[in-house]
Amino acid sequence: MSSPIAEQRFREIVPPLLDDAYSLAKWLSQSPTDAEDIVQDAALRALQALSTVSVDRPKPWFLAIVRNAAMTFMARNRRKTVAYAGDLSDLDALDLRQGDDAAPNPEQELIAYEDGERLRQAIAGLPPPFLETLVMRDINGLSYRDIAEATDTPVGTVMSRLARARAMLAKTLRAKA
Amino acid sequence: MTDRDMNERLLRLNAALDGELDAMASLGFEREMRDDPAFAAEYRRLAALRDAVRRHAPREAAPPALADRIAALAAPTPPVPASQTAAAPETVVPFRRRAWLDRRALAVAASFAILGFAVGAGLTSLRSPSAADAVAQRLVADFARAEIAGQPFDVASSDRHTVKPWLAAHATISAEIADLAQEGFALEGGRIAVVDRVPAPTLVYRKREHLIAVTELPATMAGSRGAGAIETVDGFHVARWSDANLSYVAVSDIDENELAAFAEAFRAAQKPAGESPAR
Repeated sequence: MSSPIAEQRFREIVPPLLDDAYSLAKWLSQSPTDAEDIVQDAALRALQALSTVSVDRPKPWFLAIVRNAAMTFMARNRRKTVAYAGDLSDLDALDLRQGDDAAPNPEQELIAYEDGERLRQAIAGLPPPFLETLVMRDINGLSYRDIAEATDTPVGTVMSRLARARAMLAKTLRAKA
Repeated sequence: MTDRDMNERLLRLNAALDGELDAMASLGFEREMRDDPAFAAEYRRLAALRDAVRRHAPREAAPPALADRIAALAAPTPPVPASQTAAAPETVVPFRRRAWLDRRALAVAASFAILGFAVGAGLTSLRSPSAADAVAQRLVADFARAEIAGQPFDVASSDRHTVKPWLAAHATISAEIADLAQEGFALEGGRIAVVDRVPAPTLVYRKREHLIAVTELPATMAGSRGAGAIETVDGFHVARWSDANLSYVAVSDIDENELAAFAEAFRAAQKPAGESPAR
């Protein structure tokens, strides 16, 4: 059972972050109904945690809980794996050379960005570590330091994942243009 | 340029885009933007992509029903006693309770205790209930349980377009939702009742302080069909009617005539069956 103090803290912290939490959960689970379950679970965890901790920076704190709730949910329900199966160091080793497939025509590339449906599909297709980094940065608006805290990852890794996520997006959109 | 330089350069472009460069790094960045057209072009492409992501994949508002459930987790009201919580099926999620529900819960609980005695001692032992009775009993118990627990619905919304997908995600039957606001029956939300191990969508309407729960069952289920007469089960009123595919069982503590009026309005709202949505 939660304490009155925890409930008070919860009322101050969680409701203002609900849209961020729901958006993150929806991108990670790629299902509106799963996202609701995930956010509800995260909120319960947050309420429990608030009995014992006070929180300096609510946003990365709560989004970290949402992200972990999403991982648990996906693992339990055997949805598309959130945990990347391969060796992450492969992915994080920055190999961002665009070489020959660099945009031959920048204008076409800009046009490709404006196809919202394709762009959303390309985002959804990112491997989970890159997806969560991109969503936390560009949709949730977290700083690098906040993302590092929320994903329990060094800042350098956050930077390389973000750079790589954007490069992958651009490449996908170019490939299908 | 080495790979390492390439990577450094990309990280710098991204960090600049995200406002993460410190003052010294910004100085170097501005110089590079001025002196290297390729660098500047790359930055503009990256910025265009970032802007497109923000435009086409914006932050989404959480559904109101979810916001209600989250708010209810820490609502400043006394908690439901553990004995009642334990009895609730796992589909039940906390709901913001109202003071009148607490008062009603006591009244309902008290009347139930008395009824339980009477029913247990007398009526049920005299005959084995038919399938139809079993369905009605099950739904009346469900209704009473929901009221006592103060959780008349799992998804709270007056919006059909919120309730329907929620029910669809949790039940095998796609619920018909009638808009009866004009008849004085406001949609309050929905929940799942389990009848014969089938999860059945249940709509909850309100008239004044009374709730009416309509459960939709496959018409093929034993005991689900009904001709429209109002029955009384354990002091609650039950109305049943059927169409080709579904049977509807409405349970309420509202008076008989009003429940009959509700059933009439609900059926009328569904005609013509098929395409046209109820009003």
